[in-house]
Amino acid sequence: MKRLPLWGLTLFLFFTTLLSYGQKKEHYYNVDKEVTVKGTIKEIKMEPLYKNTAPFLIIILEENKTKSIYNVEISPVWFFDHDFHQGEHLIAKGSLYLSEENVRNIIAREVQSSGQVLLLRDKHGFPNWRGGKGQTNRKGRIKKDFL
Amino acid sequence: MKNKALFLFFFLPLIGIVVLFFILSAVNRSYIKIKVEDLVKEQLRSTAEILKTNISHYLSENYQAEEIFELYSGEENIYYMALLDSEKNILGWKSQFEGYLPLSRKTIGNKETWVIDSPAGKIYNFFSSFSAPDNKTYYVYLGYSLINLEEMMAYSRRNFIILFSVIAGIGIVFFLGIYQIQAGYIKKEKETEKEKREKERFREISAFTSGIAHEIKNPLNSLALLLELLQKKSPLELREDVTQGRTEVQKISRIIDLFSAALKPMNLQKERFVLKSLIEDIFESLRKEGLTKSVGLQYSENKEVILHADKGLMSQVFLNLLKNSLEATEMGTVRVSAKDHRKRVTITVTDSGRGMSDEEKTHIFEPFSSHKKQGMGVGLYLTKKIIEAHRGKISFESRMGQGTSFSIQL
Repeated sequence: MKRLPLWGLTLFLFFTTLLSYGQKKEHYYNVDKEVTVKGTIKEIKMEPLYKNTAPFLIIILEENKTKSIYNVEISPVWFFDHDFHQGEHLIAKGSLYLSEENVRNIIAREVQSSGQVLLLRDKHGFPNWRGGKGQTNRKGRIKKDFL
Repeated sequence: MKNKALFLFFFLPLIGIVVLFFILSAVNRSYIKIKVEDLVKEQLRSTAEILKTNISHYLSENYQAEEIFELYSGEENIYYMALLDSEKNILGWKSQFEGYLPLSRKTIGNKETWVIDSPAGKIYNFFSSFSAPDNKTYYVYLGYSLINLEEMMAYSRRNFIILFSVIAGIGIVFFLGIYQIQAGYIKKEKETEKEKREKERFREISAFTSGIAHEIKNPLNSLALLLELLQKKSPLELREDVTQGRTEVQKISRIIDLFSAALKPMNLQKERFVLKSLIEDIFESLRKEGLTKSVGLQYSENKEVILHADKGLMSQVFLNLLKNSLEATEMGTVRVSAKDHRKRVTITVTDSGRGMSDEEKTHIFEPFSSHKKQGMGVGLYLTKKIIEAHRGKISFESRMGQGTSFSIQL
C-alpha cells in the first residue's frame, strides 16, 4: 500500500473533513447489485467518500477479460495493514453502481489479494470497521473460503 | 422413610416450585417483551408517520432530499433513511454507517415494517408511501435503532437471572435445611426406637438369666457346702480331688456372680474418696496376686483428685483397667494420670503393651468378647456400664505394638 508521510496525511485529513460530501443517490451498498470482478490493480488512491469520515482506500482495477476499469472502494485507510501493489491480481466482491460520470464503482464486501481474503462488510453491507459482534477493531478479518 | 425418598420428598417440591417459577417468569417476560416491542413499534410507526408529514412539508417547500435528511442529522436512533420516488428509485439517502442502506427490492414490496439484525443491534425498518402536495407519490425508508429496547430486554433478562438465582438459592438452602432437620429427627427417632428395643431385649434377658443364676446359685451353694464337708471327712487320697472339685464349684459361683453383676441395674452409692489411694490399693492387691511382675505403676495428677462416686464400682473399673494393662505389658510402666479441671475429672490409664488389633477394637466393650485365654469378656463391658451409670464417658486409643490408653471422663 502506498504510504503518505505523517504530516501529509494530517493535512490531507484536515482538508477532507472540511469538505462536505453529499451522498450520491446510488452510492450505497445495494444488495441487489452484487458482482464479482477479477482484475489487476492499476492504481491505488485515497479519497474522502463519506461525510465526516477518514479517507477511503480506492483501488483502480482493470478487469482481466473486458479490460474495463472499476473503482473498488475498500475501507477507511486505517482499517487494515494489508499492502496492495500495482500489477497485483485482485478479486473483489461487492455492490456495483455507476457514478454520474458513468464510471463503474464497486463498494467492496470481500477482496482476495496475495492469497488473503479480507472481509470488509457483512452480507447486508454493514461495514466491519464500525464494530459489531466479534468485529470490533479487527483489521480486515481474514477468512479461508472466498466467493 | 428411606433417605433417598426423604430427600426426594423435600427436593421434588423445590424443583417443582423452581420450574413453575421459571415457566411463569419466562411466559411473563415473553408477554411483556411482545407488548413492549409492540408498543415501541407503534411509537416508531407514529414517529415515522410524523416524519412523513414533515418530509412532505419540506418537499412542498422545494427542499432537496439531502437537505431534508440533514435536518435529522442529530437523530442518533435513526441509523439510515431514504427518500424514493413513485418508481422506488432513490432520490436521496443518509446513513450513520458508510454506505449501509439494507434496502432490497425483494424486501420493500412485501411489508411496511420489518426488523433486521445487524452488528449494531436490531433495526426497525419502515417503508411507506405518502403523497406530497404536488400529488406525486413518494416512499420513505427508515431504519430505527432498537438498541434501547434491546438494552431494556437485556436488563430485564439480567434481573430475571439474578432474581431466579437468588430465589433458587434461598429455596435450596431452605429445603435442604428442612431436609436436614427432618432427616436428623428421623435418624434420632430410629436410634431411640433401636435403643428402646435393645433395652427391652436386655431387660428380658436380664430377667431370664437372673432367674437362671438364682436357680443355679442355690443348689451350687449346697454343693459347695457338701464338698466342704466331704473334704473334711474324706480319706487323704481323695481329699485333693475333692478340693479341686470345690475350687471348680467356687469358680462357677464367681462366674454366676459376674453375670449377675453385669445384668443387674446399677444402684449407685456415691461417696467422696481420694483417687490416688484407691489406685494404689488396687495396684497393691494386684501385686499380691503376682500380676505386677516387672511392671511398675506411675501415678500423676495436677492436684489431689477427690471423686464423688460409688467407690466399690469405681474400684471394679480401675481393677479391670489396671489388670488388663498389666496383663498386656511384659515390662515397663503402667501410667495413671488424673486431671481435675473445671469440675471435670479425666483419668487416663496407659500401658506400653502389645496394643489391640482393629478387630479387637471393634468389639472391645461388647459383653463376652474377650481375646484373652482365660477372659470372659465381661470386664470392659462392666467398666463402660459403670462409667455411663456415673454419667461419664470412656474412650480408648490403641496401636499394635505401642500400647493402649483408656481415658475416663467423670
